[in-house]
Amino acid sequence: MDFGYTPEQETLRREVQEFIAEHVTDDVLGELETAEEGGRGVHYRELIRKVAERQWIGISWPKEYGGQGGSRIEQYIVEEEFARLGIAVGGAGSGAPAILAAGTEEQKRHFIPGLISGEIIFALGFTEPQAGADLAGLQCRAVRDGDEYVINGQKMYTSAAHYATHIYLMARTDPDAPRHRGISIFLVPMDAPGITVRPLWTIQSDPPAPIGTTYGMARTNETFFEDVRVPASMMLGEENSGWYVGAMGLNLDRVGASRYLISVRRDEDIVNWVKENDFGGHSPADDPAVRDKLAELWTEAQVCRLMTMRSMSLVERGGNFTYEGSAEKVWAPEHGVHTTETITQILGPYAQLLSSSEEAIENGLFAHNVMGAFQSGINHGSVQVMRDQMARRGLGMPRG
Amino acid sequence: MDILPSEEEQLLKNAAREFLEAEVSTALVREMELDEIGYPPALWQQMADLGWLGLAIPEEYGGQGLPLAYMGLVMEELGRVLAPVPLHSTMVAALTVAEAGTEAQKRELLPAVCSGGMVMTWAVTERDPRLIPSAIAEQAQPDGDGWVLNGVKMFVENFNVARRCLAAVRTAPASEDNEGISLFLIDPNGVGVSQTPLVTIAKDKQSRVSFDGLRVTGADLVGELHNGWPVVERMLERATALLCCQMVGATRKDAEMAIEYAKNRVAFGRPIGSFQSIQHLCADMLLHTDGAQLLTYEALWKMDRGLPAGVEVSQAKAFANEKCEAVVRSSQVIHGGIGFMMEFDLHLWLRRVSAWSMRLGTTFDHRAKIASALLDKPGKVRLGLPLPA
Repeated sequence: MDFGYTPEQETLRREVQEFIAEHVTDDVLGELETAEEGGRGVHYRELIRKVAERQWIGISWPKEYGGQGGSRIEQYIVEEEFARLGIAVGGAGSGAPAILAAGTEEQKRHFIPGLISGEIIFALGFTEPQAGADLAGLQCRAVRDGDEYVINGQKMYTSAAHYATHIYLMARTDPDAPRHRGISIFLVPMDAPGITVRPLWTIQSDPPAPIGTTYGMARTNETFFEDVRVPASMMLGEENSGWYVGAMGLNLDRVGASRYLISVRRDEDIVNWVKENDFGGHSPADDPAVRDKLAELWTEAQVCRLMTMRSMSLVERGGNFTYEGSAEKVWAPEHGVHTTETITQILGPYAQLLSSSEEAIENGLFAHNVMGAFQSGINHGSVQVMRDQMARRGLGMPRG
Repeated sequence: MDILPSEEEQLLKNAAREFLEAEVSTALVREMELDEIGYPPALWQQMADLGWLGLAIPEEYGGQGLPLAYMGLVMEELGRVLAPVPLHSTMVAALTVAEAGTEAQKRELLPAVCSGGMVMTWAVTERDPRLIPSAIAEQAQPDGDGWVLNGVKMFVENFNVARRCLAAVRTAPASEDNEGISLFLIDPNGVGVSQTPLVTIAKDKQSRVSFDGLRVTGADLVGELHNGWPVVERMLERATALLCCQMVGATRKDAEMAIEYAKNRVAFGRPIGSFQSIQHLCADMLLHTDGAQLLTYEALWKMDRGLPAGVEVSQAKAFANEKCEAVVRSSQVIHGGIGFMMEFDLHLWLRRVSAWSMRLGTTFDHRAKIASALLDKPGKVRLGLPLPA
C-alpha cells in the first residue's frame, strides 16, 4: 500500500498550481460566475487552449489519439487542482473513457483529439420524462434507415445541451427485445436538423449561485428529437449493447477528482471560515459541539478521498471494479449533504443569505449549497440505485 | 500511489487467513473465554514459529524488521477469527521497547518475544480513562538507587500471563520541560504487585493492577526520566492503529456472516436478502467497514514513513468506534432473535468489536484531537495535505 505521490507527481501538482495562479484570472472566473452559458466565453476557451497546450488534458489517454499515454494518477492531479476552482478540466466526465473503451477506430480519431482541445463537448442524453432512476424504461426511438438511424424522442436534464457540440444519446433500437437488450448509444451532432433545446431553469437561477457551489447551475435543458438523422457509423458499440456500454462508460467517467471534490470542498470552506471569522467576537470554533461535529465531518471527508484513491488504484491495476465505484457514489454525495446541512447549524441565520444579499457569507455559497448538495446523490445514478448495485454486484445478494 | 495492498502484503495476509481459519475455531474462542490463562500456548508457539511475533521487531533482535503495516495486516486477520492470543498487548509493549529501550532491555526482551517465550503488556490508564498525561497521578517516589511505586492501573490486558508490563507513572509534576511521566518495565510477579480480574463484555483478560510499594530501578526505566510522554504517545498511536486493524477484520467477518444469513433465511416467501431494506443495510455495512479499513491503512502507512500520524490514527479510531459498532449491530438486526442466543456464534464478534470500540480512546476523545489539529493552529486546511503545524 502506498498513499503517497512520487516527486515527479508532486512537481506536476506545483506546476498546475502555478499555472492556475497565473492563468485563471478574474476574467475567467467572472465568465464562470455567469454560468448560464456554461462559462464558454472567450477567456475560458483561451484557458482551455493553454491547458491543452501543456498536454494536461487526457494524460492517461493513448498517444495515438492525442493523449499522453500516462498514468491516471497524473490526470487526477490536474483534475483535482482545477476542480477546486469549479473548473472541469483534465478528462473526467468528458465521455472520452467510454469512446476509448467501446468506440471504433474512426470514432476515436474523430472525437478524442477534439475532446482534448475543447472543440468537442458532450451533453449527456440519458434521462427522459418517464425514465430516470429506471433508465432502462427509456422510450426515445432510433430506427434504422439504410446507412442512417432516424431518432425521435425527448431527453431531460441535458445540462450542457445549449453549448455542447454533441450529445451522448441512449435510444431504443429494438422495442421487442427485453428492456436492457434493445438500447443503443449514438454520438449525435447537436447541429443535426430536428434537434430543439429548451431551457429548464433550476432553483439556483435567481440569484445565481457563486462558483464552486455543489450543483450551482442556473440552467439545464430538455432536448427534443424530431426525425433526426445520424449516420450508423456514429453508433457507439454494437447495436442493442448500449445499456452495457453506457454503464461501463459511467463507471469509468465517475473515477476522478470532481466527484469527491464537489462533496468535500465545503468541509475545507467551513473549517477555514470559522478559523478566520467570528460573530461579534464569538467564534463557533470554540464551541465543543461544533468542534466535535467538524472532526466527524473531516473524518468522513477523508473516507471520500480514500475511496477515490482506491478507485484510481483499481484503474491503474486494470479496472476490475465490482462495487467500488458505486460505494464512492453513495458515500461522497451523502457526506456532502451531511456537511452542507451541518454548516447551516453552525452559521445559523447567516446560512440563509443568498448571493445577492447584504451580509451573505462567502457570497452565499453555503445557502446555495443547501439547494444543490443533494443533487449529487440523485444525478448519474441515485444513492438508492447505487446501494442496489453494491448489494447485488458487490455482495451477491439476490434480486427481489 | 496505489493504496491497495502490494503483492507481498497480500501474500502475508492470505497466509495468515489460511492458517488462522484452520487453527482458530469458535469452539476455541469460547473455550478461552472460560480458560484461566485465556490463550492456548501451543497456538502462540506456532505463531512464533511462523515469525509473526517478530514481524515488526528489528532483525538484530531476532525479528524481521518489516513495516508496522505488515503487523497490521496480521492483526486484521487475528481480528477476523477473534484469535484468543495476547499478541496486541505484547506487540504494543515490545515495539515500544524496540523504539526507546536500552540495549540491555532489548537484548533481554525482544528475542524472547520473537521466539514466543515472552508475553508482554502495558499500563497507562488510571481512574480517569482519558489517555492524557494529567490523568496519570500514580506516584513513583525516589528511594535510594530506584523508585517505589504506589497506585492503581486499570484495564491492563493479559496482566495475568505477562512476564513484563510497561507502565507509565508520574515521577515528577508536569513542568515546562516535560510532563513528568516515566516508563518502567514491571515484573507482574514482583513483590508489591496484585491484580483483580475484570469481567468484560469481550470476556477477555483485563485486570485492575495495584502497586503497593513495588520497587523499580534505573535498569527498568525505558526512555528518559520524566520525559516519557512522547514515547507513550507513540506507543498509544501504534496500539490504536493495531486495534483498529483487529476491529476491521472482526467487523468484516461479522458483516459477511449477516450477508450470508440474509441470502439463505426465507421470510415472506423470499430470502430476506432480496429485500431492499436489507440490501441497503448491507451496502452500508460494506461502506462502513471499508471506510474504517482505508483510514486505518493510511495511518499505518504514515507511521511506517515516520510521518506525523496522530490525526490519521484518531480518524481511524473515531470512525471505527462508531461505524464498526453500527455494523455489528446491523448484523444482529439481520439475524433477528437467533443472534441473541448464547449457542449461536455471532455474539462472539459483537461483544469484542463493542469492547474494542471502548478502548484506547473514545470517539469524543479522538474527535477532540482532530478538532484541535484542524482549528487551533493558524493557516488554511486542505484535505489530503498535512494540517498546519
